Amino acid sequence: MKHGAGGKWYLNARLYSEEVARKHNLREFLLEQYKNFEQIPVRKVHGFDPKNLGYTLRIPIIGRLAKHTAEKMLHSERPPKNPFHADGHIGQVVPLEDGIAILQSCAAEPIIEKNCMCRFMSRGEKEACCINFGVMSEIVDKLPRFIPEKEKYHLTRDEAVQRFREHNLKGYIGTIWFGPFPYINNLCSCQSPECAGLRPRVDFGITSIHKAEYVLAKDESLCTACGACVARCPFKALSVDKKSGQVLLDVQACYGCGVCRHVCPTEAIALKPRDEVPAVAGRY
Amino acid sequence: MARIKIDIDHRICGGGHKVDPRACCKCLRACAPAVFTLHQSFGVVEKDPLDPQLWSISVLWPTLCNRCLKCVEVCPEKAISVT
Repeated sequence: MKHGAGGKWYLNARLYSEEVARKHNLREFLLEQYKNFEQIPVRKVHGFDPKNLGYTLRIPIIGRLAKHTAEKMLHSERPPKNPFHADGHIGQVVPLEDGIAILQSCAAEPIIEKNCMCRFMSRGEKEACCINFGVMSEIVDKLPRFIPEKEKYHLTRDEAVQRFREHNLKGYIGTIWFGPFPYINNLCSCQSPECAGLRPRVDFGITSIHKAEYVLAKDESLCTACGACVARCPFKALSVDKKSGQVLLDVQACYGCGVCRHVCPTEAIALKPRDEVPAVAGRY
Repeated sequence: MARIKIDIDHRICGGGHKVDPRACCKCLRACAPAVFTLHQSFGVVEKDPLDPQLWSISVLWPTLCNRCLKCVEVCPEKAISVT
């Protein structure tokens, strides 16, 4: 997976195509995987028990081995074999504009919305905030627990854009996922700590998701230091400086999701391509 | 750091026993760092594998627990213990 230099992997329409899904026999694979989806995070992976992950990571050498094993699995580019492992399930944070570009020009029909499994697993809530494409939509048709309780969950492109915008304005972070590599079928909108994709990275430092192709840029002359954006950021990238009363931005901590922009009353925050900011260029 | 032990009594909650966790979920919602996870029960036979009906709650991220003990308070069956 390549980043930068105009290469946004998620804007490559071929990765959403029927051809890729058929090549890797994903209809069978994904049905098998999603039948038992909620069990996957609880199962042991390559001898490591995820329940002890926090402790394992603190052990010298073994902790590094566990981190390496987890990342190797998630970043795998080999054809997927075991539906009980999350091989090749890697994603990236996308801001509102890129999410809309995906839905308008790349996503494969049929497009649906389904109940977010992360929110169901961590909170027992059924909230339809995941948007699925292509083969994944067919799989969800067969699994009643993922189908939202409203009349219509098959969406047109415009409806999908509308739903994605609603979630993003609410403060849900947009993420696009390989599921599994090299097929893209999931555009999620979720929050930390519920999102199972963000959790390993935010809480354990395992690269389970890449930061966006952007970072925040603040216009200090417009900022009134109201602090609305600080409350929005789940990554602690924004903070209020106690001495000066100014809002500080930590670019290294910023994931570039851009949801803080929606609450800024003076439009003092914008997104800037990551490559144009030397401190974080090339660091995803 | 001392290990934290969060126990859920699976003879009461989940897996087809007294309480169906999907109907309760009080501990899941009370927990600020979301250390619990709801999953299909292990070692049971489902009538329809596409629509599983037997669910359990497990502790997935015990290291993130901040010992607020809200889960112990809200559990209607007193099935959770934290030591």
